Amino acid sequence: MNILVVYCHPVEDSFCAAVRDTVLTALGEAGHETRLLDLYAIGFDPVMGREERRHYNEQTGGTHPFPEHVDHLKWAQGIVFVYPTWWYGLPAVLKGWLDRVWTPEISFRIDKDSGGITPLMTHIHALGVVTTCGASRWWSLVVGHPGLRTLTRGMRALFAKRCRKVVMIHYLMDVSTQASRSSFLERVHTRMLKFR
Amino acid sequence: MRILVLHAHPVRESFNGHLHRLIVEQLEKTGHEVDDCDLYGEDFDPRLTREERLAYHDTEVNIEPVRSYVQRLQAADALVLSFPVWNFGYPAILKGFFDRVFLPGVSFNMVGGSAQPCLHNIGKVSVVTTYGGSRLRAWLVGDPPRKSVTRVLRAIVKPGARFRYLAHYDMNRSTDVTRSAFISRVGRSMSAF
Repeated sequence: MNILVVYCHPVEDSFCAAVRDTVLTALGEAGHETRLLDLYAIGFDPVMGREERRHYNEQTGGTHPFPEHVDHLKWAQGIVFVYPTWWYGLPAVLKGWLDRVWTPEISFRIDKDSGGITPLMTHIHALGVVTTCGASRWWSLVVGHPGLRTLTRGMRALFAKRCRKVVMIHYLMDVSTQASRSSFLERVHTRMLKFR
Repeated sequence: MRILVLHAHPVRESFNGHLHRLIVEQLEKTGHEVDDCDLYGEDFDPRLTREERLAYHDTEVNIEPVRSYVQRLQAADALVLSFPVWNFGYPAILKGFFDRVFLPGVSFNMVGGSAQPCLHNIGKVSVVTTYGGSRLRAWLVGDPPRKSVTRVLRAIVKPGARFRYLAHYDMNRSTDVTRSAFISRVGRSMSAF
């Protein structure tokens, strides 16, 4: 399967980087084709500008501001996000990537008459989210995992109907230990070997 | 009351731009002191940088790159957020404001590995926002932006602070009637702030 790994963290030797490498290794071992999109490394600007917003609803494939990213989305049959959870949400750079790249006529179509949404990324059959989080599991549940749900419910609605989902979260990062981090990496490796 | 208005929309003539001007106008008319922070207008960069991340927990230096925004946040008695919901979340420019400005020592203190909220100068929060999709669809997704405000933000500001969440859902199917009704609702809410 073709799997796009979208990674977003500003520090090159962060724990998230180790998670990213573990994901890529496991997917490679399982025989998948992978592409890595490292949003900080390419200096992605997450701010949608005035002209882009004004023409957002009239966009066609041909006028998209990031054709190479569209190519990644069209190529992918699976997509895995690796990022730190900040303020229970996605880092701004990742959020802006969704806003600027997942546009009408690429990810979805807005019906002119009914205003309804038709998904256009039904070639994606598997979604993975691997993230770290400072808060505990129970408090994240109380808050309702807003960042995670943006991906697993909001964006996943644009994928294939029975798109599979894998979510792995290392909670309580601020009191994590060498042991908790290694065990998380091991679990990520094992789980990603079976990702399909 | 000193009110910090955080606005996040790139197009001045948009519906959100109109709501933003209405908010500021009504609050000023009511006699409040308004600090109008238009994130696009001020060219705010929402990207938390490598250096910021490395110094994140060092409360001696972490506010340096965003000192003026921290001061404006700490000088406020209330907060009004004005933004469109994009992809069931904040626009990146507003999300980055939380990432970069709501720092340890500003909005929370780390005590033995757990975060203790401390943005207790903020005693009231209002949100004015728009959603492309219907309320049902937002509810099915878990309404992440609403939870980011009524749960995440509520836990950070003064305990017992009042919250108002004014949302026009279903903008893709909105009409002049629904939009003017929403404008009146926002106007009334801001006059009574």
